[in-house]
Amino acid sequence: MSALLKSELRKLIYLRANWLLLLWSGLFAALGTVAPILVLNSDNGPGRGVFSGTETQEGINAVFANAAGGYLFALILGILIMTNEYRHGTAVGTFLVTPKRSTVLVAKLIAASLAGLVIQLFSFLFAITSGFIALTFFEPHAPVPAELLFKVLRASAISGLVLGIVGVGLGALVKNQIAAVTGAVIWTLIVEGLVVAFVESIGKYLPAGAITGLVDVDFGENDFNFSIENYLTPGPATLVLLGYAALFSLIAMRTTLRRDLD
Amino acid sequence: MSSVKIEFKNLSKRYKDVLAVSNFSAQVQSGRVTGFLGPNGAGKSTALRCLLGLVNPTGGSAAVNGGSYSQLQDPIHKVGAVLDSRGFHPGLTAKQNLKIMASASDINFSRIDEVLELVDLASAANKRTKGFSLGMKQRLSLAIAMLGDPEILILDEPANGLDPLGIVWLREFLQKLAGEGRTILVSSHQLAEMQNTVNDVLIINKGVLVAQGTIKEICKGRSLEEAFLELTLRKSA
Repeated sequence: MSALLKSELRKLIYLRANWLLLLWSGLFAALGTVAPILVLNSDNGPGRGVFSGTETQEGINAVFANAAGGYLFALILGILIMTNEYRHGTAVGTFLVTPKRSTVLVAKLIAASLAGLVIQLFSFLFAITSGFIALTFFEPHAPVPAELLFKVLRASAISGLVLGIVGVGLGALVKNQIAAVTGAVIWTLIVEGLVVAFVESIGKYLPAGAITGLVDVDFGENDFNFSIENYLTPGPATLVLLGYAALFSLIAMRTTLRRDLD
Repeated sequence: MSSVKIEFKNLSKRYKDVLAVSNFSAQVQSGRVTGFLGPNGAGKSTALRCLLGLVNPTGGSAAVNGGSYSQLQDPIHKVGAVLDSRGFHPGLTAKQNLKIMASASDINFSRIDEVLELVDLASAANKRTKGFSLGMKQRLSLAIAMLGDPEILILDEPANGLDPLGIVWLREFLQKLAGEGRTILVSSHQLAEMQNTVNDVLIINKGVLVAQGTIKEICKGRSLEEAFLELTLRKSA
């Protein structure tokens, strides 16, 4: 297993596309912290009207909670780790070296988990640094408590570890790379929001809802019509995400991974 | 003394309405180069993929060294396979692709330079494979197959896409490997080339074994092409 894991990590390091994905994750998460600072503090922005600006704790919470936003890239990387094998035909070589396909899947799950962690730690640091720099243009602002940063860092680390695994499971199930990546992005950014709008009670059990629970930061119910009370606490939220990872991986092991490799 | 290295026993594979391989039984002896011949769609690739555990047989079995491929300990050290000219990442260099395969089975990286030399690809070791010609891709596939220095080689149409120089190179390469006493099962359309390279012949048509024997037994004084055409056309008729 250790040899196989080394091989998987080597694939991750060698591919330029993975480094680009890491960079994009940082930029995406940084946009998540910088953009709200600009919007909340603009002359016509919500900070000057009904909503709080970054001079309030709620505003600061809303800004820095977004530093965990790079999780989508951990998910995409997980998908790529699995689907690249089918897209480029390397699955044949991989399964010739290691005929037991479940062993290959486990090695990929571990590699994706580590890669997801790296993505989320990098994007967290990038987003937090960008947020602090942006805040210097809008003094005075409310303090950024260490507890807030700890909560978001914890959410970033756990979501990175788990969503990499979810991605591999999803990629093993939907072997077509474009379909898997597009489906994951559309689900996360669009469909899940629509589902929650119609059936609010299940929102906390969906992936993005579970991540919101994982972040565990309240933005203020009055300002943003958002309350963390409606979401799972970090422990159960982690279990929900692990449940998705286990579900996808187990179904894949029973179905797609057993199929003929032509 | 030769022994059976590869054995197909009543192997069958059905894809929905198509019976790709039907009750196929054959043996490959150790230290011999065996040509696996048949028209397009005859079932050669399917049989080889069943042998390597990539395709699940509908019936029967295929064994390497007396057991299924998936039961082999460290299979890359026992069996090397070339199935098509894909199988490596186009964004990586030849050497990087080989390092990935080598590290998966704890093979020392010094072996990478050896196999690249072996297939005359050392000068392109650090080039990305997306720029490789088909011939270079075939050579890289052979390099990957040789990484574990296996005793058995299974090659599916290794001459596909090769120019005349490449075909000559492949012939000499296979003869060199055969001279080292390796067991080689090679499928090919290049009948003239096969005649000069193989010791034994398996001929399959429409998923069914139509002939098996030494090249002398199969040809009976004719060329391999004549024997092949007669055997496959006669069975088709």
